[in-house]
Amino acid sequence: MNLQIFLAISAVLFATGLAAVLSRANAILVLIGIELMLGAANLNFVAFWKFSPSPSDLTGVMFALFSIAVAAAEVAVGLAIIILVHRRMNTVDVDDADELKG
Amino acid sequence: MIQNILNELAADPWGVAGKWFALAPAAVLLLAAAAAVVARNLVRAALALTLSFMALGVLFISLGAEFLGFVQLMVYVGAVAMLIVFAILLTRPDRLRRTATALRGAGPAAGVVIGLVTLGGLLGVISTSPLAAGTKCAPAATAPVARIGEVLMGSHVAALLAVGVLLTAALVGAAILAIEDK
Repeated sequence: MNLQIFLAISAVLFATGLAAVLSRANAILVLIGIELMLGAANLNFVAFWKFSPSPSDLTGVMFALFSIAVAAAEVAVGLAIIILVHRRMNTVDVDDADELKG
Repeated sequence: MIQNILNELAADPWGVAGKWFALAPAAVLLLAAAAAVVARNLVRAALALTLSFMALGVLFISLGAEFLGFVQLMVYVGAVAMLIVFAILLTRPDRLRRTATALRGAGPAAGVVIGLVTLGGLLGVISTSPLAAGTKCAPAATAPVARIGEVLMGSHVAALLAVGVLLTAALVGAAILAIEDK
């Protein structure tokens, strides 16, 4: 169990989320991909904290904790926007929400 | 590499088994994340995402960050997964033509290729980094709740207040966005 294993796990998770954001059309699935990428970043923070020379500072844990709080706020606003788009345009497809297109 | 693993296995089979068993939550995490991404059914994607959140929380706990693991379970499994399920229920597609499998113009291949290229770049950096290779064994790092509280109310108190303001603003903003126009 070394740092590289956790970094590799995190990289795979991040790439999975990135592929979801780029290739899925449903806005909820795009949001799921963003959540996966945030989870990968948090895993990196915790792994670097675990293997840091001074873990008693709790820097990585604190960063992950605040990241979870911000992600929760982001999900609430994101889903509210998705519901609003669905009500206005009757779709949750990100390609159909193009009213600002010039 | 393989010879080393075999020698280690012959010397201490239970130790090696325990070491690999510790990676079981990571396997669950990656498989559930992949299932969430490729699922055709939105509800199944949400359930797979919930499983991956659980596995991530277990991974945090096994890394020694117990408090963070339980926060992960409560916030993500308890709140975020529930929000996503509610959003799926509230945004049922009216036309069957538009399904969750509808893909963007460039097709799924472009997104998968970009994901794989990113993965290759990240793994290349991780495997060649002297920083990651230098830290071999896990130190006994723990994050006791009392210490977390001290740090939160000490050096991080400004960030804690800012998070409170942010959550309030997000709550009010989400309510205003989703409220029905009269």
